[in-house]
Amino acid sequence: MSTIDPVKNIGSQDESIPLLAEENIDPITFSVILNRFSTIAREMTLALEYTSWTSILALARDFSCAIYDAKARQVCMMDALPIHTNSLHVILRSMVKAFEGNVYDGDVIVSNDPYSGNTHVGDFVTACPIFYEGEHRFWAVTKGHQLDCGAYEATSVAPSAKDVWQEALQLPPIKFYEKGEPRQDVINMYLANVRYKELLYGDLKAQLGSIWTGKRRMIELIDEYGPQELDHYVEAILDYADRRTSEEIRNIPDGTYEADSWIDSDGMGNTNLTVHAAVTVEDDRIHVNFAGSSPQGAGGTNGTIGVMEASAGIPILTAIDPEIPHNDGCLRHITCEAPLGSIVSAKYPAATAMATLCPAAQEQEVIWKALAQAVPERTSAGYGGFHCIPSISGVDKRGDEEEGWAAMFFNGGSGGGASKNADGWPLIMLSSGLGGLKIISTEMSELLYPIMMDHHEIETDSMGHGNTMGGAGIRIEVRPYDTPMECHATGDGASNPPFGVFGGTPGIGGGNYRENLDTGHRDYCSSKGYMLIEPGEMWVGVSSGGGGFGDPLERSAEKVCEHVRDEIISFETARDIYGVVMDPVTFKLDEQASIARRALLSEQRGEVPMIQPTQADSATWLQENMREGDNYLLDPLP
Amino acid sequence: MQYILGVDIGGTFTDFSLLDDVGNISLWKEATTPKNPGEAVQQGIRALAEQTGMELDTFLKRLDLFVHGQTIATNTVIQRNGPKTALLCTEGFRDVIHFRDGFKPERYNIQLPPPEDFVPRYLRIPITERVKYDGTVVQPLDEDSVRTAAAKLRSENVESVAVAFLWSIVNTAHEQRVKAILAEELPDVPVVLSSDVLPMIREWERTTCTILSAYVLPGIARYMVELEEFLHGNAYPHPLLIMQLNGGSSTVNKVLQRPINSLASGPAAAPVAGLYCSERIGMPNVITIDMGGTSFDVSMVTDGSPTLTRELRVHDMPVGVAAVDVHSIGAGGGSIGWIDKGGALQMGPQSAGAEPGPACYDQGGTLPACTDANVVLGYINPDYFLGGRREINTEHSARAVEEHIAKPLGLSVPAAAHGMFRIINNNMVDAIRVVSIERGVDPRNYALVVGGGAGAIHAGMLGRTLGMKKAIIPRYSGVFCSFGMIVSDVRHDYMQAHATNTARFDVAGVNKVVAELERKAMDDMVEEGFPEGEVILSRFADAKYPAQIHELTIPIPSDGELGKASISEMEQTFHDLHERMFTYSVRESPVDLFHWRVVAHRKVDSPATPAFPAAEQSIETAQKATRSVYFGDIDDYRDTNIYDGDLLQRGMSVAGPAVVEQKNTTIVVFPGQKLEVNEYGDFVLDL
Repeated sequence: MSTIDPVKNIGSQDESIPLLAEENIDPITFSVILNRFSTIAREMTLALEYTSWTSILALARDFSCAIYDAKARQVCMMDALPIHTNSLHVILRSMVKAFEGNVYDGDVIVSNDPYSGNTHVGDFVTACPIFYEGEHRFWAVTKGHQLDCGAYEATSVAPSAKDVWQEALQLPPIKFYEKGEPRQDVINMYLANVRYKELLYGDLKAQLGSIWTGKRRMIELIDEYGPQELDHYVEAILDYADRRTSEEIRNIPDGTYEADSWIDSDGMGNTNLTVHAAVTVEDDRIHVNFAGSSPQGAGGTNGTIGVMEASAGIPILTAIDPEIPHNDGCLRHITCEAPLGSIVSAKYPAATAMATLCPAAQEQEVIWKALAQAVPERTSAGYGGFHCIPSISGVDKRGDEEEGWAAMFFNGGSGGGASKNADGWPLIMLSSGLGGLKIISTEMSELLYPIMMDHHEIETDSMGHGNTMGGAGIRIEVRPYDTPMECHATGDGASNPPFGVFGGTPGIGGGNYRENLDTGHRDYCSSKGYMLIEPGEMWVGVSSGGGGFGDPLERSAEKVCEHVRDEIISFETARDIYGVVMDPVTFKLDEQASIARRALLSEQRGEVPMIQPTQADSATWLQENMREGDNYLLDPLP
Repeated sequence: MQYILGVDIGGTFTDFSLLDDVGNISLWKEATTPKNPGEAVQQGIRALAEQTGMELDTFLKRLDLFVHGQTIATNTVIQRNGPKTALLCTEGFRDVIHFRDGFKPERYNIQLPPPEDFVPRYLRIPITERVKYDGTVVQPLDEDSVRTAAAKLRSENVESVAVAFLWSIVNTAHEQRVKAILAEELPDVPVVLSSDVLPMIREWERTTCTILSAYVLPGIARYMVELEEFLHGNAYPHPLLIMQLNGGSSTVNKVLQRPINSLASGPAAAPVAGLYCSERIGMPNVITIDMGGTSFDVSMVTDGSPTLTRELRVHDMPVGVAAVDVHSIGAGGGSIGWIDKGGALQMGPQSAGAEPGPACYDQGGTLPACTDANVVLGYINPDYFLGGRREINTEHSARAVEEHIAKPLGLSVPAAAHGMFRIINNNMVDAIRVVSIERGVDPRNYALVVGGGAGAIHAGMLGRTLGMKKAIIPRYSGVFCSFGMIVSDVRHDYMQAHATNTARFDVAGVNKVVAELERKAMDDMVEEGFPEGEVILSRFADAKYPAQIHELTIPIPSDGELGKASISEMEQTFHDLHERMFTYSVRESPVDLFHWRVVAHRKVDSPATPAFPAAEQSIETAQKATRSVYFGDIDDYRDTNIYDGDLLQRGMSVAGPAVVEQKNTTIVVFPGQKLEVNEYGDFVLDL
């Protein structure tokens, strides 16, 4: 049910609702089948989560599961990772095209090909056709981010890869199973070209288990209703989402809304690239045009069609009723385009390994900025850009045998943006995930990998301020103790921090550095790049909190006192940004002084721009934190 | 004559089940006294004594067993009226409960605020100390930092303290020392250690478990000690047993050592009660359902053991310990039917609650609730709802369904009501699927046991949709959970982390760990007064493929030392379970084993059950009326026989369509189904 305004749905229908009955649809069976589809997608998700072998899938949940009809239209999905589910159909359609007339019961088709509509090479797609009485009826599909994909360096999101041959083993749509039989030679070739092949083989099995679970349940569903009847209801389910989406988009004022966002760097030393979008709302459709964005980057920081399609949808789907099923009927209302050769849509054979993180984050951010002009109450402040989430790896010598290890380390991830009614959440990482990613507990991390965490806490004053405030940024300190740790930073949003809106301020941007524990010397690193951390050194990340929403002078003064007491914000921030005066020892609010202070600040500041920052490269964290003798490394290469 | 007594505090009523040694059961209900729940308990005990014609102390002297399910702990957490609680944690890790697992539900709902921290940040106090994953001390405990923290706890008037350090599961020394220091500094403040309540890896779950324990401890201690004093002061000769969330009971003393076990304990008795009814007709596999006014609870028993989970959450916080897997959804008699913006019929999760209640309550409610649909369909007798205690206005039901469902959907009123009935059934079927099919279990081989409330109206359709064969409606379904308590075992769980692998199995180490756990378990049981011969110990281990992350708990050989043969048995068990649950296994792979678990049971003797009177009269004697009832198989009402459940005797068989009415339960027998009364007096519905 809608969480924007839950009560209004009840008992307040107007006469205009088209009757399902008129379309020869039994409204009761309709609801039953609609729920069953969600149950099936959920079960596929559980099967994958509980059985995968790497932390990126089993703990972080960097995967998604969905069911498509034979025409590759999304029928249902689990709201797992928005960046996956809103564009999974693009790669599936390439699979369909590649094997047209050649799809059999018992097949499994896989692909990671960014130029066939996949999001990026790290995402590995498995799909199996579902046959019933000899006829192809549905697809069960999963997409899971692999720990490795055979890049020239030990990360599946190589920011410095120069082309598709450096970033991964490319897998255009290819069959791993045919007619129920594994093509072991093909699977072996795949596994021979990736690191940690035992782990990746385990993850492959988990992804297969998931699609086979989906297949099993779908066949039961067809058994129950018969193929024709079910088809009929699938159409009705798509129409239903279509109808609800139309109604929601019609409530957004028609017009074209434009905005800019900025990328820290392309991973190859080119800084402050622009993502521009013109968002056109017309009746019940929204079109996003990214023309005006910077040319493609020199490294792996480039967009794909799959990422663009997903990114265009994410902010819009958060601005309409979140209860609308996100199937094809909903997604078809949102279209997008970008000039080929731009950072949003790179030209083959450019590397796009980073696409789901960056430029995805900026593509989404720029649409929220546009929506702020159209539907102020429903937009969001900026999200952290996957900052301080390195891929870490090394050799584990603790056991009898030396073993390679690797993890995408989400624990210090950035915060989410505030909305009109809610403070941001911590650890949202970025809006491509919207909170669907999980962290690995400190204890699990230290058990699985030869590392120690010395610190993992909220960074005071790291978030954007406002009537609602951004989710907190985090200070995290990690060190290896007997073998070196490789550290690939693959984020963004440090020099271009998450934006604040309607008076809300931006997050801090933050940064990361390597510190020598003896000398105290620090090498600061940009949001992308490679650093080797030796024993005796430590990697420190300070991630950005999300952006603030609305005027900080309107936030409850009592709450502000609690934040100071809790060391979430400083006494000075309370005084200078929130205009709240309190006793510094007891944190008791001085009501009179605060009223006066708020009036004064309001007068002093004058007109505040709708979106802050208003230009690229605005973060000051680095200047404030670098000391004499510290280094700064821009996009350091392995 | 000797007795056993189960007492379950519910939201409205406190239920009493008293069983004598020939198997006669007496039931009592007392209005719950929320301010001082012990009052209703004491009143009920006095009333039962009176009913059996005895003085209070004579009555209590004759009790062999007193098992109690209480809601103090749960209510304390829900109402947040517990003591001011602080957390002492490893320095640098104050925000474990704020960060949670980093997961946000409802991805697209950006208006959803983050959950409030249960312990505010200023009361999460860092202590200088650090232990590594292998138990070595990296940073010795700085006792000054503990004393500084104690001073802060004093100045903030903290009333209860949780201590949860990283890796205390492999080295408890720092937590133990903190407890000793706090005992000196703050002798009156209770201190709960994470290594005592949940010695399991993953600091978030362990920390929240410890915090919840510290939060409920003072309240339950006061309550339980007072009740025990009352009982012992009136000659009750045994320890008071408290129902726990793991489905077993425990002495007060032990519960106070692991207060977390006192949370959510009422519904935990349901599977045991269900098992009792179904096992005696030869079905050891059970799914129990309980449909109340606002929620629908499902749990499961396989081969005589309730399914447990470690994923249970209270107030968005994981409890971490093994708990009866009660899956709850917002579906009940009060669930409101509505049509969403796309024209689809939905039921709940909003509920009409008790105020204003369904439209038929005539208390101002105008929205159609599930109960209204059941009234329109003729399943509920308007003159005999809750045994006639509540008046039902059928016209209001019909009007609500017509206005809000039938008209907008273009359906007749009964068809619309039947649609509501089907949708809520579907929601409940989904909930049953979650605990069964999604856990790799086929519900078709299970009996459906219906506890209380409106469940028996829906059970026939739920069971049929899931392909189940039998539904059992216990004769005393109205006091299902209190009955479950008197047939539940005493149960304690013990665990310890010790990493090994089947390829290089640490035989000596594991046997040492298991032996220690078993010795502790046996010592505790004996100390509680249960003879060694009555205690059953079973062993379990958490297993996974190497480098896999999530574990599955598997039973392991429970006799003697673990040796070579047990290793391959454990591997086999794990591969099989993995394949059953997740479609695949990797049989050539060794298996990692991490936590070792010992569960101690003290079997409670099953009470005798007298034969239920066999039918001497014909079935017609139990028929009380006919009524128009709508079953949905044809689009019309049909005249249907209505039976008085209390008059149905053993061997009588009611063919559907029919409705069987008891004071607290209505059973709908759908066309093609058959209801029989078995030798124990329970109703068995052949689906």
